[in-house]
Amino acid sequence: MASLKDIRAQIASTKNTQQITKALKLVSASKLRKAQNNIVNMRPYALSLRRVISDVAVTQKVAHPLMGQRTEVNKVLMVVLTSDRGLCGAFNTNINKFAEKYIRDNKARLQKLDFIFVGKKGFEFFQKRNITPLESITGLDKDISYKLASQVADRLLGYFLSGEYDEVQLVYNEFKSAISHNVVCETLLPINLGLSSFSDEVNTARFSKDLVFEPSPEEVVEQLLTKHFGLQVYRSMSESVAAEHGARMTAMENASNNAKELINKMTLTYNKLRQEKITTELIEIVSGAEALK
Amino acid sequence: MKMTLVTPEKRILTGADVESVTVPAFRGELNILEGHTPLVTTLDTGIMRWKVKGSDRFQYAVISWGYCEVYPNGIDILAETADLPEDVNLTDAQSFIDKAKARLAAESLNDADYADLSRVVKRGESSIEVTKFKN
Repeated sequence: MASLKDIRAQIASTKNTQQITKALKLVSASKLRKAQNNIVNMRPYALSLRRVISDVAVTQKVAHPLMGQRTEVNKVLMVVLTSDRGLCGAFNTNINKFAEKYIRDNKARLQKLDFIFVGKKGFEFFQKRNITPLESITGLDKDISYKLASQVADRLLGYFLSGEYDEVQLVYNEFKSAISHNVVCETLLPINLGLSSFSDEVNTARFSKDLVFEPSPEEVVEQLLTKHFGLQVYRSMSESVAAEHGARMTAMENASNNAKELINKMTLTYNKLRQEKITTELIEIVSGAEALK
Repeated sequence: MKMTLVTPEKRILTGADVESVTVPAFRGELNILEGHTPLVTTLDTGIMRWKVKGSDRFQYAVISWGYCEVYPNGIDILAETADLPEDVNLTDAQSFIDKAKARLAAESLNDADYADLSRVVKRGESSIEVTKFKN
């Protein structure tokens, strides 16, 4: 049986832990707000860009190598987005499991399957499984900027356009809400704008025949597609960061609750023990007094 | 004339009523007033300015690569970055210029890198210039 002193120490240490988890939760909450703002701020840009590309590409009948769908996919480059830090529930595990399953299922089929890891957790996980990435990028959560994303995007474009890969896949956690996120695998390249479904929406009236293009429509589409792609990468990174903070917030919330429960239980035991002790002492005194009579 | 100016990281204007807009377009500076012919153009690094309806002064921003679309009743501008005069940090801007210039002078670069670095220099210089218009 633990002594009163032991229980007291245990309660104190659990309280400390609880305070840490509470603080971490608050930090994640504020970071989450920032990340969510990021996503919201990006939306108008993303929507306009997409609309413009499909408008221009459809009305001017521009085709581009980045949009060409491949009939046969033999060489795949997979980008795996994880976080640098842990303590965020199943956030990283889900991603890693998904990627591992993908390897198992497709290894035999594909001629070439390479990886780029963003975030330390994914990198470490696959390092243990002897998979060396083409590249790995860390330091994502500190400052998620469009600049970093477009650098990554430029490199991916380079790999794709040089013909080393037929397809670029991206695995990341899509942000749904503060408490839910799910693993998504997207085909980043070739770019699929879903133009066939788009064509009904295209407002050709806005595009008159004598619309002036500076430079040529082809060049405009070329530049826009590159930007669009960069933005896709940025969006997924933002989503992943938001999901990470959301996941950490939930994990820390749970930890705080568990600590609270533990403290309650221990306080109960502590009080019971204390009362028992008092009762024993009282009995000793009373029986001592009785014996003296 | 409605104007929208957005970047991936922020929204600066959405559907604001403007009288006059000047942008650093692909073929040089372009002034857009009410009733401009429909136009699609890419934008260079440089300073853009616009006058909100009813206001008597211009507002300024430094943009790097951008896309501008003029349609009968408005303008959409998508810029990769857009810094307002109050966002500019002079020491940072100067250090960017210095670093880029040093590389331009020291290394033999391929065309793409050369263009990138020149853009960095131009962006820095525009940033420094735009702080003159701080209100």
